[in-house]
Amino acid sequence: MDFLAPRSAQEQMVRHVEEGCPYRADDVMAPEQAVSTGTTIMAVEFDGGVVMGADSRTSTGQYVANRASRKISKVHDKIFVCRCGSAADTQALTGFVVNYLGQHAVELGKQPTVNTAANLFKMIAYNNKDNLLAGLIVAGYDDKRGGQVYSIPLGGSRIRVPWACDGSGSGYIKGFIDSHYRPGMSKAECLEFVQKALCFAMSRDGSSGGVVRTLVITKDKVEESMIEGNKLPFGP
Amino acid sequence: MQAPVEHRWSPYADNGGTCLGVAGEDFVVVAADTRLSQGYSIHTRDCSKVTQLTDKCVIVSCGMKADAITLHKHLKARLVMYEHQHRKQASVTAIAQMLATTLYYKRFFPYYTFNVLCGIDDEGKGAVYHYDAIGSFERVPYTTSGSGSSLVMSVLDAQIAKGNQTVDTPPLDKRGIVELAKDVLSSVGERDIHTGDYAEIFLIDASGVTPTRFDLKLD
Amino acid sequence: MVQVEEPQDYVDVLQSHRGGFSFENCKRNAYLAAQAGIKPPTAMKSGTTICGIVVKDAVILAADTRATNGPMVADKNCEKLHYIAKNIYCAGAGTAADLQHTTEMMESQIELLRMATGTQPRVCTVVKRLSSMLFKYQGYIGCALVLGGFDVTGPHLYQIYPHGSTDKLPFTTMGSGSLAAMAIMEAEYNENMSIEEGKKLVAKAIRSGIFNDLGSGGNVDVCVITKDAGGNILRNYEKPNERKFRAQHKAFPKGTTPVIKETIMKLVSVETDVVMRD
Repeated sequence: MDFLAPRSAQEQMVRHVEEGCPYRADDVMAPEQAVSTGTTIMAVEFDGGVVMGADSRTSTGQYVANRASRKISKVHDKIFVCRCGSAADTQALTGFVVNYLGQHAVELGKQPTVNTAANLFKMIAYNNKDNLLAGLIVAGYDDKRGGQVYSIPLGGSRIRVPWACDGSGSGYIKGFIDSHYRPGMSKAECLEFVQKALCFAMSRDGSSGGVVRTLVITKDKVEESMIEGNKLPFGP
Repeated sequence: MQAPVEHRWSPYADNGGTCLGVAGEDFVVVAADTRLSQGYSIHTRDCSKVTQLTDKCVIVSCGMKADAITLHKHLKARLVMYEHQHRKQASVTAIAQMLATTLYYKRFFPYYTFNVLCGIDDEGKGAVYHYDAIGSFERVPYTTSGSGSSLVMSVLDAQIAKGNQTVDTPPLDKRGIVELAKDVLSSVGERDIHTGDYAEIFLIDASGVTPTRFDLKLD
Repeated sequence: MVQVEEPQDYVDVLQSHRGGFSFENCKRNAYLAAQAGIKPPTAMKSGTTICGIVVKDAVILAADTRATNGPMVADKNCEKLHYIAKNIYCAGAGTAADLQHTTEMMESQIELLRMATGTQPRVCTVVKRLSSMLFKYQGYIGCALVLGGFDVTGPHLYQIYPHGSTDKLPFTTMGSGSLAAMAIMEAEYNENMSIEEGKKLVAKAIRSGIFNDLGSGGNVDVCVITKDAGGNILRNYEKPNERKFRAQHKAFPKGTTPVIKETIMKLVSVETDVVMRD
């Protein structure tokens, strides 16, 4: 992919790490192997809000470091972000944006817009694209534009979309989404749609798994729900 | 996605372990641990490194277990043929030479084994031979090989060869050397992660091969 | 190859002396590695099994006690449970020097904070500071930590990776023996355990790491952190690996090592015109 060109210009690293040892490369001059969220994340807009969904598996190589992680993080009362990529990078990024957006909200005196939040994410992601590995989906509700979904993939571009999915498992469900998505779905239909898509992705992608966490954000409330991995309602 | 990492397949593996052999006036003591490991995992805690080749000769190999199995099998087959041809069992000196040529035969894809051949020679004296992976060998009064060999060698140098010591103390007897081998293996088991579990000690003298076994640390 | 910048003016020189890490030798090391193939010395790492659980009224951490330097055991009974505050402790896996210095730095920062605010330090504060610092160094500080504590908001357990990512969990294991320990945890953990049951579970998990992972060994250290009593380290809670055999060696007789030369130098000189003041 073109926007990854600077990264691949790094030198070839020959490194032999023994199997089953997360922290055993004995060359202490090299950084440790990073934890990445293998992941499938997704968000869909409907009239009056958004539905966000994510799996819960965080992996280091082939080992599942956390089987119940929360990949949907709160940025503000009605603005949330789905994180994929390097766990450290996305957590740090989210921390910065929560800080800046919080200050902005205080100065503004009212709820910040999803557009602003997405823009903050984009600015940091784009300006540090050489050093970050973060794929984000910023979604939420504000009074100005209603429910919105913004996709911010690896290079730091930002685009508003009716639905977005990202992560290693997203490729398995893009065809499914293209064929089953219709604009103008209701809240319940969107929720079922997101759950279904995530179930399919988790059953095919080895780096996605655990539980399905979904979040529905509307003008009035934020509802969180969870489906355990052994009780998935949909599957191949 | 991470920076490119090159994967290279290696036909060799290091299964760890330590062994030692000490020659006495008319006996030989051979000791080895029984842990088989790979990387930071244990394959098995109870795998013998020692093979008895004849009534008077024993070989112990550290390094790669697969190559050790094949090498020992090969040697035993050759010795059966020798016995058929010469109507007697091969002497330690003959086996020593044969092992050297067998190893050198695979000079360009070696057996990854570090062998110690021990036995009673034709004059009734204890013999210990030390080998490298491709067949260079030397008869020595004592030797050691394996992952913990560096820890063992200095102790043997001090207690058996008594190098750099001005005061003369009598050499260790059979029992003393067996106690020393036990102590040495226990100490290596403390400090080398690839050595441990159980240890086998073989005492070879005129009456034959006497095996004993004792416990090392399991961690 | 490492990109090293020469200081261009006094501002760069001042910046480079600001504290934290000194990168003075980077250029020399890069040169040595490239020209003479000399690699820097390896640091001591603890292979390690560490784990932590949250039970009804406590957080329990546990660790093994082996520090390795490659395939050699450098320390058979080292301490991997570090004190951060009276109610916050952490278990560390990774590079021994990094762990020691990072946890000591956290301990002093948190003590200063406690004195400044007059309140009991919170676990989330430590987590934030640790993860920010580790993220700043992009994984080059090899600290993998299981951090546990009991503050006003209740018991908390976090796992923190060298790159700075954190996870908040009810039970966790880290280190080279983490897979062995996690097997025990997944099978036997439940959130309604008592403190005694919890201690037995973590000890069992660490024992699993000790016997099945070659990078872990030695004894089991346990730390129990409760609401009122704070943290209490039970050093060598279990000692499943006593040495089984030790021969009786006769002492070397006096005169065994030949003395070739003897030189005596007087290093201390006493001056009588110095008056000691209180």
